[in-house]
Amino acid sequence: MAKKYAMVHDNNLCIGCQACNVACRSENQLPESVYRLQVWIKPEEYPNGTLGYEYHRQSCVHCENTPCVNVCPTHASFKNEDGVVLVDVDLCVGCLYCVAACPYQARYVDPVTKAPNKCTFCYESRLSRGEEPACVTVCPTEALVFGDLNDPQSKINTVLSERVTYQQKERLGTKPKMFIVPNHKGGIKS
Amino acid sequence: MNHIAGSLEQYSTLIWHWPIAVYLFLAGLSAGAAMTSLMVKWIEGNNKAPWDGLIKAGALLAPLTICLGLFLLIFDLTRPLHFWKLLIHYNFSSVMTLGVLGLFIYTPLSFIYAAIKFKPWLFETGPFAGLLKPFKGIIDSIGDNPAWLERTLFLFAVIIGIYTGFLLSAMYSYPLFNTPLLPILFLASGLSSGVAASILFGLLFFKSEVNQKNAKYLLELDLRVVPMELLLLFALFVGMYFQGGDKTLVAIQALTTGVWAYVFWIGVIGIGIATPLLIAVTALRHHAYRVGYILLNSVVVLVGVVFLRLYILYAGQTFVG
Repeated sequence: MAKKYAMVHDNNLCIGCQACNVACRSENQLPESVYRLQVWIKPEEYPNGTLGYEYHRQSCVHCENTPCVNVCPTHASFKNEDGVVLVDVDLCVGCLYCVAACPYQARYVDPVTKAPNKCTFCYESRLSRGEEPACVTVCPTEALVFGDLNDPQSKINTVLSERVTYQQKERLGTKPKMFIVPNHKGGIKS
Repeated sequence: MNHIAGSLEQYSTLIWHWPIAVYLFLAGLSAGAAMTSLMVKWIEGNNKAPWDGLIKAGALLAPLTICLGLFLLIFDLTRPLHFWKLLIHYNFSSVMTLGVLGLFIYTPLSFIYAAIKFKPWLFETGPFAGLLKPFKGIIDSIGDNPAWLERTLFLFAVIIGIYTGFLLSAMYSYPLFNTPLLPILFLASGLSSGVAASILFGLLFFKSEVNQKNAKYLLELDLRVVPMELLLLFALFVGMYFQGGDKTLVAIQALTTGVWAYVFWIGVIGIGIATPLLIAVTALRHHAYRVGYILLNSVVVLVGVVFLRLYILYAGQTFVG
């Protein structure tokens, strides 16, 4: 049975250390100027005057209704059978329609191939070896949980059943498979 | 924003640059010129050679501008040598694919239509007469008034004009693009640029062959389309303003913030809409035929449409809510 890979990013466990960011760069051998993943740290002031931090995982959210795949004229941008959104560089003409259409700014243009690329959940490398994505493995606080939504016993389904989550820009109907556990303090800005 | 995460350069929302705006302008102009040429040709008495200068101008502009635009588009790709993959791989949910398929039909038809209008020059008097001789039979067999070809060309001109709008409006990452009025606005402004370019080109290069009556017909047409553009722009922004949330914010920002607000008010509204309307009610009042003002009118309309494409493309990608 096909898998439906997804990820949880827990804002309360994340400490913004960027270990995921670095592990991603190393695993995927990214050129210096581009990123598949960053964690943006935003200071927050709560209504009572106390301070805190918001952590935003900036990466592909692997939509089920994919704007990038819809606009791609050549099927270079595609969603595979396991629900992971990937780029077939060979088919890409470099029109950058996908980069523009992505409401999550998940895509960058690779300086070498000149084709857009993005987070792949380490599909071709680590997942094919039965390992978790590099960012998940390296996270020191277990803020990232990865797994198969089609498997009721998977760790991610346990987490999704026990913690409050939301998806970014849900109103667009993109159905991201990146679930965010919001900060227990303050409001949610989806 | 804390830069511990690394460079934020790749997160710019400005993805498509000026060559795309120029392509959108040229594609709209091409479609508009084809429609203009056909509309003049369909006027009673205009359906035989020697063709009116305005019919010839539009017929020539349509294939030339679409080819120029496509050339620009291909070299704007980050992988231009792979462009042929666009021609053989199709994704029917992509407006770009639909545009490619539309252009497959529109572009050759526009060439055939132009060939009919320039038959003597192409096959007898021009420098390529010898080279093109073998094709004379084909063009002759189509005849001077191929109704099926002209109607299909007109239909596909409308499709090309409108597709350039849907190309942008299909993206819900940009509130200013993602409005149902944009394709209609692009079609209307494409038509007005096609009319203006045909008048300009016709009066500059085929002046002795231009019938005043036809030129006045086109000027009147432009005088109806330009206020329509104003109405569409008005409805677009007011409509966005009433949609709330990001859309309200973007509508206000796009009309009031920075250099793009100036481009809108001075370039799009001032030069492109107010000036032609002013010329129409002053210098060209009562359908006066003053060639200098008619040319000036065409130039300001064209400049205005260039500004409109640049403004929509850049402001749309700058103000994202």
